Amino acid sequence: MAPTRTVKNKHAANGSGIKNSKAARGPQSDGIVKAKKPGSKPTPTSAKQLTKKKKRKVYTEKELGIPKLNMITPVGVEKPKGKKKGKVFVDDTESMNTILAIVQAEKEGQIESKMIKARQLEQIREARRIEAEKKYEERQTKLEETKEGLRKKRKRPRTGEDETDAVVKEASVTGSKAKKPKKKVAFAE
Amino acid sequence: MRPLTEQETQTLFAKLANYTGASLKNLITPLDDSPNADRYVFRLVRDRVYYVRLSIANLASNVARDNLLALGTCLGKFSKTGKFRLHITALPILAQHARYKVWVKSNGEMPFLYGGNIVKAHVGRWSEDCPEHQGVVVYSMNDTPLGFGVTARSTAEARRLDPTGIVCFRQADCGEYLRDEDTLFAG
Repeated sequence: MAPTRTVKNKHAANGSGIKNSKAARGPQSDGIVKAKKPGSKPTPTSAKQLTKKKKRKVYTEKELGIPKLNMITPVGVEKPKGKKKGKVFVDDTESMNTILAIVQAEKEGQIESKMIKARQLEQIREARRIEAEKKYEERQTKLEETKEGLRKKRKRPRTGEDETDAVVKEASVTGSKAKKPKKKVAFAE
Repeated sequence: MRPLTEQETQTLFAKLANYTGASLKNLITPLDDSPNADRYVFRLVRDRVYYVRLSIANLASNVARDNLLALGTCLGKFSKTGKFRLHITALPILAQHARYKVWVKSNGEMPFLYGGNIVKAHVGRWSEDCPEHQGVVVYSMNDTPLGFGVTARSTAEARRLDPTGIVCFRQADCGEYLRDEDTLFAG
């Protein structure tokens, strides 16, 4: 529907001098409305809207690959993208040989490291044993020495001061007895 | 019946390599040099792994799943957690390629075959330079394989051990053919 306009002065002509008259403002027309050709000139506002609509493409969560929040996905359930479904079998000799070589190298390394460790431990143990033996020997010789020393000490006074020692001994044994007469008890007759 | 996956193959080889040396690769080499030569392969039936000739494995694919009891040599089974457990039936293969060996005196044969560990007093001979916790194949003094186990001590440590000390923990022995008759081949 065409917009309706209120015409203030119908009779005011273009050159009449009346300012606000319809005839004075627009181009000269006979009052006949021409039909517009469809698609001849698109309005600029509609084009802008179109471009805006294109830019605002809405992506779904699946397209973006965003993980769903607050959900636990078990390991087996989540399938990696672009991977083939099912198990991959190893049945050709080449791949089996490669796996075997990898495994054997790994085992070999483990055994080797175990052996090295065992050898080191053995060395340490051996060193400790030797040290302990040495200490024991030392202690033993020290003990022997002190024993010898004690023996010598005991022997020396006997040889040097034999007489005095003997006197002292006698005195110690008999001295007290000689001084004190033994008490005797006898039955009355 | 299906071939093993990469993970399964790795687990299996790692277990076998515990007991065997470098000659293990002979297990999977083709039998002759022709391009389509027959070779030995590993096949998984339910959870058991069989070591079998490819031609026989292909023939066995004709047998219905429920009717197929076994084929080739059973090496062991995969546990539910994905580990591999060697069975006594793998002994002939392990004995062929064994790396470390223990020879048991005649007085120690029966205790071992009844499921006991090997004590030092029963050891007749022993591979030199064997580390601790290493897989060993157990032989009688006349070189008959009896089973396999894992060393409790290294050779050097075992020398200092008292006669009743355990030198090898049993893993499998030939007595299992009788003791585990019901479950060894099926179930």
